[in-house]
Amino acid sequence: MAERRDISIQVPVLARVEGEGALELRVHNGAIEDLKLRIFEPPRMFEKLLEGRDYSEVPDMVARICGICPVAYQMSAVQAIENLFRVEPGPWVSAMRRVLYCGEWIQSHSLHIHMLAAPDFFGCSSVVELARTHAAEVRRGLTLQALGNDIIRLFGGRSVHPVGVRVGGFHRAPAMAEVHALRAQLRAALPQAEALVHWTASLDLPESEQEFTSVALRHSGEYPLTRGRLVSDSKLDISVDRFEAHFTEQQVPHSTALHCLHDGRPYLVGPLARLNLNRDCLPAPVRAALDSTGIRFPCRNMHYSIVARAVEIYFAVHEALRLLEAYSEPDSPFVEVQIRAGAGFGCTEAPRGTLWHRYDVATDGSVARARIVPPTSQNQARIEADLRQALQAYGLEHEDAALRRRGERVIRNYDPCISCATHFLDLRVMRS
Amino acid sequence: MRDRLRIIGVGSPFGDDRLGWVAVEMLQNSAALAAVGGGSISFAVLDRPGALLLAHWHDADRVIVVDAVRSGAPPGTRHRLEPGEWAATESVSSHGFGLASALELARVLGDLPSHLVLYGIEIDPTCSGFSLSEPVRRSLPDLIHEIEREVGFFAQSGVF
Repeated sequence: MAERRDISIQVPVLARVEGEGALELRVHNGAIEDLKLRIFEPPRMFEKLLEGRDYSEVPDMVARICGICPVAYQMSAVQAIENLFRVEPGPWVSAMRRVLYCGEWIQSHSLHIHMLAAPDFFGCSSVVELARTHAAEVRRGLTLQALGNDIIRLFGGRSVHPVGVRVGGFHRAPAMAEVHALRAQLRAALPQAEALVHWTASLDLPESEQEFTSVALRHSGEYPLTRGRLVSDSKLDISVDRFEAHFTEQQVPHSTALHCLHDGRPYLVGPLARLNLNRDCLPAPVRAALDSTGIRFPCRNMHYSIVARAVEIYFAVHEALRLLEAYSEPDSPFVEVQIRAGAGFGCTEAPRGTLWHRYDVATDGSVARARIVPPTSQNQARIEADLRQALQAYGLEHEDAALRRRGERVIRNYDPCISCATHFLDLRVMRS
Repeated sequence: MRDRLRIIGVGSPFGDDRLGWVAVEMLQNSAALAAVGGGSISFAVLDRPGALLLAHWHDADRVIVVDAVRSGAPPGTRHRLEPGEWAATESVSSHGFGLASALELARVLGDLPSHLVLYGIEIDPTCSGFSLSEPVRRSLPDLIHEIEREVGFFAQSGVF
């Protein structure tokens, strides 16, 4: 019989995740006594910073929340404000926002697969070490990541904290020559993205099935990016303005990020949840590539998230190319808007999962209140539940170092963006 | 066509981290560089590019990178480092994938430019806001002059 030892593992700084977090695990008498994903990155108060600002400043301000997924923040924000102002920016803007969002998925997913996740599968500590044995794959990853950045730069002026998006559309439309060049890059990337799907599926992924609820957007036949209803595999089907009736954020003492629960329970957002709920919306070649991997859906193994990310890169390259093949320069890249006071709601699919925004706007166009629920705070309770099950199933008799490595891998499956999630602080002063 | 020389400023909008951007702007307006390099020099300013720094130098023969440096020296100290003098540091996230890691990745992938040099100034880590600290600001003209002199040597050796 395995030795039942007491274990105390502290991973003070999680490696290869976006932002600063830690893992604490206490095992007593063969059972997990305490497990915490600690998020100690300072809270960032973005919602408070937005108060009093003009609605037109919101897209540029929220882009600053995250250097990896600024477009997602911009897309949820403009959708919320346009929803309030009852503006429909038209098919050109809708299509180009989708292209821009594809750029962000490509760069963020490529970064995660190659820089953060892949080294795990080859026993490497970093992408530099991985590049010694898998140079071609790392090179392919960098090429895809650069392509994603180029798409963002086309619409956003620059790839980090882009500034091209405005309420009502874009500040400028790309010139035809720029789009031509990008189309050639996208065509060249199609086979690379398809090969990436097969490569990730060929990795030695642990078997670890768990029960969980997947939540994602869904919209009449298109793979979800910029719009849709919120659905789950446990019968949720709501418009995004009903989010607050079904999802509640709660504070936990060990985290500066809130835990968001769906009807009081943890749930999953992100690539695997999207695929579980929207696999039928993938274009035929992407669907065929996924089917050829033999992975059964709905998939309950979080380690397959890396494959889901690769599938979404392939989808995003395909989708951006499809939309840019039909590109024409518009008369105007935006529509004028009329301020309306009230509450507006927006929800889009950030690379890491659904990103929900609410803005209460006053009659002068200033933001009275903002609420942002990022994907990492939605996944946080699920990550802790996963860790408990995964480490118990893996075997608590393993060496501390092995338990630590497995724990970090479980966390990385969610690609948590801790910097995005930390936007809350409850200050308690205890005096005696 | 390959660029003979690319000068890349790496940074962010914040405090002394702006150094790379400010330096490249000054070099773009440098009469000395225009006289020796003319159209053979290209410039780029990048906001924390991480591993994608490789994409910005892969089509250049010679590369000069200007970045903020923290080595423990007094703020304002100027540095000139060649690849062998850079220690690769362990990066804990892609947020922390800095110049040293990008260089190491380029070395492993065989994507190092034939000539790569880093110019930098030791920053004041407490400097915040959107302007440079006094020690960095004072040191900047000498840094620009050193880069102009190095580019002048390229010109004398027939690079352009």
